[in-house]
Amino acid sequence: MLERILSEVRDMSRRAVMSPVTFSLLFAFALAAAIVAVTGGDPLAAGEEMVTGAVTGSGLRNTLGRAIPIVGMALAVSVAFRSGIINLGGEGQMVIGGLAGTIVAIYVPGPGTLIVPLAMMTGAVVGALWAMLPAYGQTWLRLPILITSLLLNYVARAITGYLVRFPLSDVSVTLATTRQVPETARMPKMPIFGGVSLSLVLVIVLVALLWMVYTRAVAGYESQMTGFNMRSARYGGIDVEQRTVQVMVVAGAIGGLIGTHLIIGEALRFIDGELVLAGFAWTGLLVSLLAVNRPIPIFITGLFFSGLQIGGLAMQRNAGVSWRLSQVLQAVVIVAVACRLAIRRGERPSGEVSEAESAAVGEV
Amino acid sequence: MTFELELRGITKRYPGVLANDAVDLAVRPAEIHAIVGENGAGKTTLMSLLYGLFPPDEGEIFIRGEGVEFSSALDAIAAGLGMVHQSFKLFPTLSVADNVVFRQEPRRRGLIDRAASAARVRDLADRYGLAVDPEAAVEDLPVGVLQRVEILKALYRDAQVLILDEPTAVLTPQERDQLFEVIRRLRDAGRTILFITHKLGEVMAISDRVTVLRNGRAVADLVTAETDPAEITLHMTGRAVDLDRRAPEHQPDEAVLEVENLTVLGGHGRAVVKEASFQVRSGEIVGIAGVAGNGQSELIEALCGLREADTGTVTLSGRDITTADVAGRRTAGLAYIPEDRYGVGTTRQASVSENLLMGHHREETVQRRGWFDRNAVARLTRRLVEVFDIKVGSVSGPVSTLSGGNLQKVVVAREMEHGTPLLIAEQPTRGLDIGAIEFVHSQLIRYRDQGGAVLMVSAELSEILALSTRILVMFEGSIVATLDPRNVDEPEIGLYMTGAHLEAAVA
Repeated sequence: MLERILSEVRDMSRRAVMSPVTFSLLFAFALAAAIVAVTGGDPLAAGEEMVTGAVTGSGLRNTLGRAIPIVGMALAVSVAFRSGIINLGGEGQMVIGGLAGTIVAIYVPGPGTLIVPLAMMTGAVVGALWAMLPAYGQTWLRLPILITSLLLNYVARAITGYLVRFPLSDVSVTLATTRQVPETARMPKMPIFGGVSLSLVLVIVLVALLWMVYTRAVAGYESQMTGFNMRSARYGGIDVEQRTVQVMVVAGAIGGLIGTHLIIGEALRFIDGELVLAGFAWTGLLVSLLAVNRPIPIFITGLFFSGLQIGGLAMQRNAGVSWRLSQVLQAVVIVAVACRLAIRRGERPSGEVSEAESAAVGEV
Repeated sequence: MTFELELRGITKRYPGVLANDAVDLAVRPAEIHAIVGENGAGKTTLMSLLYGLFPPDEGEIFIRGEGVEFSSALDAIAAGLGMVHQSFKLFPTLSVADNVVFRQEPRRRGLIDRAASAARVRDLADRYGLAVDPEAAVEDLPVGVLQRVEILKALYRDAQVLILDEPTAVLTPQERDQLFEVIRRLRDAGRTILFITHKLGEVMAISDRVTVLRNGRAVADLVTAETDPAEITLHMTGRAVDLDRRAPEHQPDEAVLEVENLTVLGGHGRAVVKEASFQVRSGEIVGIAGVAGNGQSELIEALCGLREADTGTVTLSGRDITTADVAGRRTAGLAYIPEDRYGVGTTRQASVSENLLMGHHREETVQRRGWFDRNAVARLTRRLVEVFDIKVGSVSGPVSTLSGGNLQKVVVAREMEHGTPLLIAEQPTRGLDIGAIEFVHSQLIRYRDQGGAVLMVSAELSEILALSTRILVMFEGSIVATLDPRNVDEPEIGLYMTGAHLEAAVA
C-alpha cells in the first residue's frame, strides 16, 4: 500500500516536473531575468521585490482582489471553450451586466443584504441575455459566435457609454460616469488580509460548482463531449444547439457577475470605458488557455497571474524595473506553453491508425 | 541471385509498441509479391520505412544488391520506387496529365508543354492498358480511374518497384479485376509489384509470392502456388478461422423500420437519395450494397436524424420519426454503428468509459436529476468491457490508445447495449482484422437471432452475402435491386452496383 502511494507521488511529481507549464515558467523567468540584466538592472533584486510585493502586506490583499475578476472571467471563457464555443464576448457581457447591476445598486432602495444579491443577480441575468444574442445568432442564423460575440463588445461599450453620458450621468462631476454606489449597496469586504471582497467566496464557490458539474453532471459531460467532437456528440443524441445557448447563458451570467462586482465591490462608479481598461476578460482568456479550461487549475493560474501583475507594480516602485516586465512574463509563459503543446502533438507516431483513419474518412 | 529489393532485420519502435521486429523481406525481379497481415501487424509501417517516410531504428535496405538509405520519399522515388497510397494524393481541379507530370513537366522554351505531357501520358497509359483520358479533370473521375492515375504517376517517374497499399479497398469487383489485369501486364513488362492487403482471395488471385506479417514480424515467406488460404490464415492469426459461413436461415417477423419514398437533397439541391422505399423486419439483416458515394451514407444519416430528409416518411416500430431529432429517434428504438468510428463513433480525447457512456448518459439507470451515479456508470462500462472482451488497460485511459478492432468493439458494445428494435451498422468491419471481423459478425447475428432488425451497409460484398437476409443495391441514390443472397453472386451484384444493368436494358 505504502509502496503504491509512494509510486503515485513519484509519478505525480515527475509529471509536474515534466509538464509544459513548469518548463514554460522556468523559461519565462529565465528570459525575464536576462532582460533585466541586459538593461542594467539586478534580476535578483527585481525578483525579490516582485515576490514580496505580491504576497506580503497589502500586496496579498491586492493579489486576491485582482484574482477575483481574472479567475471569474477565465471561468466564463472556459465554460464556452470546453464546449468548443469561441466566446470572445466576455468583455461585452461583463460591461453590460456590470452596468445593469450597478443601476440596481444605485437606484433600488433597500437594505444591503437584499440589494447586493439583487444587483449581482441582475448583472448575471443581463450578461446572460446579452450572451444569448450571439448564441441564437449561431444556432438560428449560422453567424459564427467567434465574430458576433467579439463585435458585440463594441456595441456593449457604445450602449453603456451612451447611458452613463446621458440618462445615468452624474452631473456633479466632469467625468462620464454614474453616481456613486451608495454605502449600503456595496459588496462587503471580509476582515481578512486587510479586507478582501466577499466576491472571492463567490468565485471559489463557482470554481467548486464547475468542478462538480464537469466531473459528475450530465450537463458537464455533454458540454465536454461536444467540445471534444461535435459530430460524435450529435450522433450520440446531444442537442448541440440547445447546449450552445445554455453554455453561452452560463458564460454571460458569470461575466455579468464579475462586471457588477467590479463596480459595487471595487470602483463604486461606472466610469465610461474604465471597466475594460484592465483587460480582465483577455487576461482571463489567457488564464483559461493555460489551465486547459479546468476550474481548479484556473484558480491557481489566475492567482499566479494576479500576483505577477501586483508584484510587477511593486517591482516598478521599489526596484525601478518597469511593470511591463510582468506583461512580458505573461506573454512568454503563454507562448512557451503553446510551443510545448504543439511539439507534443507533433510527436504522435503515425502508425496503422492513420491508415484506418483515412480509410474511414473515405478520402479521395 | 540478386534480389530486386531486400530488407534485412528492419526494426521500428514506437513508445510501447514494436511496430516492426527484425523483418526480413526479399523480393525477386518481376514478381507480384503480396504482403499480408492483420491490422496492426506492421504492414503500413514497413512500407513507410521502405518509402523513406521515416528511418528504421535498425536494419538495412538493398535495391538490386546495393545498400541504400532514404532520408525522404524523394530519395525512394529516385531509387526507382513508386507508391500508390490508400488515400489518393491528386489535385482535383487539374487534368490527369497535369497530375501525372507534376514537378517533371516536359518543357518547351521554359514553358510547360501541355501537348507533349498529354501525349506522353497517353502513350504510357496505352502501353500498360490503363484506360485513362489524359485531358479529363481529376475531380470528374471515379475512384477506380483515380487509382490508375496514381499508378501512371509512378510509372512516369520510371518506378521499377510499385508499392500498392490496400489498392482494392475502394473498388468494385469489376474495377478490381481490371486492376489485376494491369498489375499482371506490369509484371510481364518486367516491373516488380508489392501488393499490400489483408484479403486472402486477392493474395491467391494475383500474387506470385507472399510474405505474412504478424505482430510486427515476418512469420512466413511462401510461394503462392504452393500454399492455400488456410495456411496463410494460420500464419496471419496464429490460429484457424472460418469466415466463409453463411448465416443460418431465420424467419423474419413484422416490419420494424419502414421507409417510403425517401428523398434526401445534398449540396446544390441535387437528390443524393432518390425515392427510396424499403422495410427492415425483426429477425432479419438487410444488407445495402453499392459503390461508396452512391447515397448510402446520406440515406443512413437521414434515417438517424443527422441529415434532413426532403420528402418521404420514416416509420420506426409504428411511430413516424421523419422529423424527430437524434435523441428522439434513439428513444424511439434505434442504435447506430457509424461508418466513421474515429470521427463520429468515438471521441478520441475522451476516455474509454466516457465513450462507452455516450448515448446512455441520460438513462435513468446512470443518472438522477442530471447528476451521474458514478457507481452505476462504472458498473455499465465494466460490464461492456467484460462482455465484449475489449482489450484496454484502464477504462479511464484515453480511447485513442485502442487498436482499430478494440475501438470498434467500444462502438459495437455501446450501441448493442441499447437493445433497440433496430440496429443500423454502417461498414461495421472496415479496416478490421480477421479476428475482429469474426467477432462483429457473430454479434450482428446474435442481435438478429434475438429478434432485432439490422440494416447493414457494407462495401465488402462477401460480408453482404454472408450475413444478409435480403440485399438492396444502391446506385446513384436509387435502390436499383432487391436480391436474395442465395440466388446471386458477387459479379451479378457488381453489375447492379455500377449501373450496368441499366445500360443492358437500354441496349
